[in-house]
Amino acid sequence: MDITTGTLLLIPLASAATILLFFRQNGKIASYVSVAAAGAILLLSLQIIFSESASADSESGDAIVDSGVTWLEIADFKIVADFQIDDPEANNESKALLFVVSFVGFLIHVFSLGYMADDAGKARYFGGLSIFMFSMLGITLADNLIIIFVFWELVGFSSYMLIAHYFHTKEASDASKKAFIVNRVGDFGFLIGIVLTYWIFGTVNLSELSQLMAADPARATTGIALALACGFIGKSAQFPLQVWLPDAMAGPTPVSALIHAATMVAAGIYLLARIDFLFTPEALSFIALLGAAMGLYAGFCALVQRDIKKILAYSTLSQLGYMAAAFGLGLEGVALFHLATHAFFKGLMFLGAGSVIHSCHHEQDIFKMGGLRSRMPVTANTFLIGVLAISGVNFFSGYFSKDAILLGAYNLNLPVFVVLYLGAILTAFYMFRLYWIAFCGEPRSKHVAEANESPSVMTWPLIILAVLSAIGGFEALWPEALFAAFHTDLHVVHGMPGHLWMVVLGTFAWVAGALGSRRLYGQAGNEDPLMEKAPALFQLCSSKLFFDEIYNFYVTSIQQRVARILEVLELLFISGLMVRGSAGAAGLFALFGKSFYLGRIHGYAFWFLIGVVGFLAYAAGWFGHF
Amino acid sequence: MRLAGSGIFDMNLGFEELLLLASIVVPTVVSICLFTGVVTSDEAAKKLAYVGFGVPFVSGVLLFLWFEGAVGADYKYEVLFDRTGLQELGITFHLGLNGVSSPLFAMAGFVGLAAGLAAIHSGAERIRLYLALLTLMQAGLMGFFASVDLFFYFLFHEFALVPTFIMIGLWGGRDRRSVALEITIYLTLGALIVLGGLVALNVMGDAEKFDFPTLVHLLSTTALGESAQFKIFGLLLLGFGILVALFPFHTWAPRAYSAAPTSVSMLHAGVLKKFGLYGLVQVAVPLLPSGAAQWSDFLIWLALGNVLFVGLVTMAQNNLKSMVGYGSVMHMGYCFLGVATCSALGAGSVVMLMTAHGLSVALMFLVGTFVYRRCGTFEMDEMGGLGTKTPVLACFFLAAAFATIGLPGFGNFWGEFGIFMSLGENPGTRFALVLAVIGIIISAIFGLRAVAKVFFGEQTEEFAEFEKENPVKDLNLVEMLPAGLLVAALLLLGLWPRTISDRVNAEIGNRYQAFESSVPGSLPACCALTAEEPEVKEGIETNGAAVEATEESSKPKAGDHD
Repeated sequence: MDITTGTLLLIPLASAATILLFFRQNGKIASYVSVAAAGAILLLSLQIIFSESASADSESGDAIVDSGVTWLEIADFKIVADFQIDDPEANNESKALLFVVSFVGFLIHVFSLGYMADDAGKARYFGGLSIFMFSMLGITLADNLIIIFVFWELVGFSSYMLIAHYFHTKEASDASKKAFIVNRVGDFGFLIGIVLTYWIFGTVNLSELSQLMAADPARATTGIALALACGFIGKSAQFPLQVWLPDAMAGPTPVSALIHAATMVAAGIYLLARIDFLFTPEALSFIALLGAAMGLYAGFCALVQRDIKKILAYSTLSQLGYMAAAFGLGLEGVALFHLATHAFFKGLMFLGAGSVIHSCHHEQDIFKMGGLRSRMPVTANTFLIGVLAISGVNFFSGYFSKDAILLGAYNLNLPVFVVLYLGAILTAFYMFRLYWIAFCGEPRSKHVAEANESPSVMTWPLIILAVLSAIGGFEALWPEALFAAFHTDLHVVHGMPGHLWMVVLGTFAWVAGALGSRRLYGQAGNEDPLMEKAPALFQLCSSKLFFDEIYNFYVTSIQQRVARILEVLELLFISGLMVRGSAGAAGLFALFGKSFYLGRIHGYAFWFLIGVVGFLAYAAGWFGHF
Repeated sequence: MRLAGSGIFDMNLGFEELLLLASIVVPTVVSICLFTGVVTSDEAAKKLAYVGFGVPFVSGVLLFLWFEGAVGADYKYEVLFDRTGLQELGITFHLGLNGVSSPLFAMAGFVGLAAGLAAIHSGAERIRLYLALLTLMQAGLMGFFASVDLFFYFLFHEFALVPTFIMIGLWGGRDRRSVALEITIYLTLGALIVLGGLVALNVMGDAEKFDFPTLVHLLSTTALGESAQFKIFGLLLLGFGILVALFPFHTWAPRAYSAAPTSVSMLHAGVLKKFGLYGLVQVAVPLLPSGAAQWSDFLIWLALGNVLFVGLVTMAQNNLKSMVGYGSVMHMGYCFLGVATCSALGAGSVVMLMTAHGLSVALMFLVGTFVYRRCGTFEMDEMGGLGTKTPVLACFFLAAAFATIGLPGFGNFWGEFGIFMSLGENPGTRFALVLAVIGIIISAIFGLRAVAKVFFGEQTEEFAEFEKENPVKDLNLVEMLPAGLLVAALLLLGLWPRTISDRVNAEIGNRYQAFESSVPGSLPACCALTAEEPEVKEGIETNGAAVEATEESSKPKAGDHD
């Protein structure tokens, strides 16, 4: 770990510690400390990203050998704290994520100044954001699976804390618990994968592992790859662990933007990209199918949501599915590219939603909104850019990244393509639905009718993100140091046949989605028109295939009952028979002893005495040697 | 290796040795003063108690800091009195610290001070007697970690054990009499079995002394026979198992902890219970390697019983204190798993986890009591919404809960992780790895459930009713001090595990290496430490199965949010 990386990690940690120790009561100062830390992180990250690329050529030779501090060593198990931004192999990927995290992170910090201005728990909130930045940067910079796991757990913790921000509500209380526990289920596999990797390959250092695998690719096993991928499934909320993400919307909206859209959930994809060399073709196709299925499933779920944040949450699930599919197709650069553009436009839309929620007195039901286009022009217009980008409207950022995934799928795996393409139509459909209902038409409730544009501390981040969402797809606009991670795979896709087709199909997808939803929702009232027009579809989508119900049934009716039964069994058999039994038998002796000399408690002393006598007797060899 | 005691009679004690001696003598003297009524006022008794807990703390910390470069199987700060009157039987009063005991010794000082501070400010009735017993207990705790001689190791344990019975009987909560009687008999039985095992070890080893280095020296030159090792280790395992609450001998623990006064729970669960594990790691496994290896498979299943069975039972607890009690029993399962691997990595990680767990479980009992003072109950269904009223307490409780859950940043994480590592090291124990890791989900469930029930959500009616009469205040300084002490230590271990791991590693590595070479290569597969190249293939196959199991068990758990 060199000085800059160390400083980068220390800044947010120091910020969190300062807030915890000194500014717990003073939200204003706490918020400035945290925002200043985020600003410093951004500057330092940019410095790292751009300065290293110059020096990487000269130093790349010995960069890998340079290893960090030994953090723990017991017998043949050793953890070295590797943070290797110098490693050319990992370099590009981590630089790309580093940029996304520090840049989007900073904007969201600034936005939070406005959004959380009047919140009572402001200090706790900004402290939590700093802990999150610390943990997320840790994941980004770590070059060792165990170190990644450490920060992996810590982002889980900060996510827990921030979801639980409004902890006096039952919703937030349940959601925070659920998020952490479901993530732990994913970590279960991840942890086992790490342990086995360590013993089977002899190292968990990613640079060393990649060298090992490069030397002998046959050592990869589907088992280990999938065990490690469990971490991704939990963190990126893929099947079957997707249930926590929609509930996590109980947290403050900027948190949803930062953690549950732009960065933390995308860390799963980043993890996959870092360990791609461990994947066998079987494991890759599994991930591709998993991702494609989520791309479509989450789209259907989003179709019938009324809560603006839930719609965006399901849309995030769906887009994560696209990234996973891209990774599964072997196009991890494209997956990371989509990760970056998605961070822009989804961060933008979540912040837009936050701006709306903020000025509508925490109204989240889109059917109670309407007409916000005239009341909040900046928010509405930037949100529209987000919608255009995610729908893949030509030349917006999403168009480049998503169509690259579609084109790749078209050439590599047709079933995945079909599923993803249907998902793309659906995406345009439900995103435009949101826009038509919430921003067009007439206001449908009092608070919305009186809504005003948010202060500039909130609109400026929107504008900046909107610009990036609009133009972020053009390769020429990206600095080489950042684009390097996407470069190779994007060029592979560019070399594939079928471009023209894809332009036609892609354009058709968003036009169909936009017009279709305009027709259906253009004149929406207080109720979802789909409910009347296609009740069966509406019911099916609302059910979300009963994942929550099944899990709830498992938890309340199976797990909790088994636990109680075990408790009773324990009382009856172990406590009742064995302990009381043996204690009873011993007690008989004690009773015998008691009749000689001692009281109840002091029955102990009697036993002790016998013990000592026995001990001495043995020691003296009275009983001989057995 | 230095053979201490052969004719050495060293009364020229240095400052460090005196400090070591003081950690035992001072609390004993304080205890005697309080017992005999030399001190008459409660205030003076409290002041004296500060000394009684402060000296072991200072001693623990200083001796920990001064402890330099462990050479392995050697003791620092040795204190030796040959003329105990029992020297004919080979019993000498021999104190010292090595790489394994020094972190535990320091931990005992930490937890002791925290428990002592809690006791001094607890407002218990008959406070002088209470403090007298507690300082006696503290003396015993410091004593058994500092003992080199097995007889005194055992004797000091009894010193600590007896007061717990009396304190539960006199100051305990519900069912205190029956609980006190039950654990008195049961734990004494366990201790007796241990004693039997230790004596057998001595007798069979033909040792002239009960001194640990003597035994090491003897047994590493001429190991005991297979069957003798099997018997003695079995005896020790049974005895230690009862004392540490190994499944299925564990049921006394949660009952005792929920009945015991807070400071007793803290000291018992945090420190006293580590006696057995310490004995296994420091004495039983290195001296009886083949015995340990023969019992290993069996022990793994029992330990999994702790993790899974007791873990599930923990999830069903609605009483905060018994939840903490069950939770601590569950985590003992991890320690036993580490012991069962018979490897240096396993044993080292057990020491890491023991140290961290001692701090975290004490913290848990402490903050649990703080909650009790504010809600008037331990029933979690009658609390709720405390977080808005007592943010500082919520912070400490969260820290305790997340330390228990094994969040990185707290010491427990490294211990658990190391144990998982040790289970994965050998293909034969990888099935146990998969089962044991389920525990990280279980602890998250019960830990977060408690946080949510106590601090999140709305206030329950019962609590609102109680609050009318008893206004809730956040932690005061007196309460923050012991809790802060424990949190700081946990964070230190979490952020820089090498604080203890280096010396543990040096000591354990040396000791476990010594026995590996001394045993005529007949260890069963699960205990072979040389499993490297030839077994890699097998490992991969096992791994496929392991991952299937992963998939299996991760599915139905996904909705565990209650």
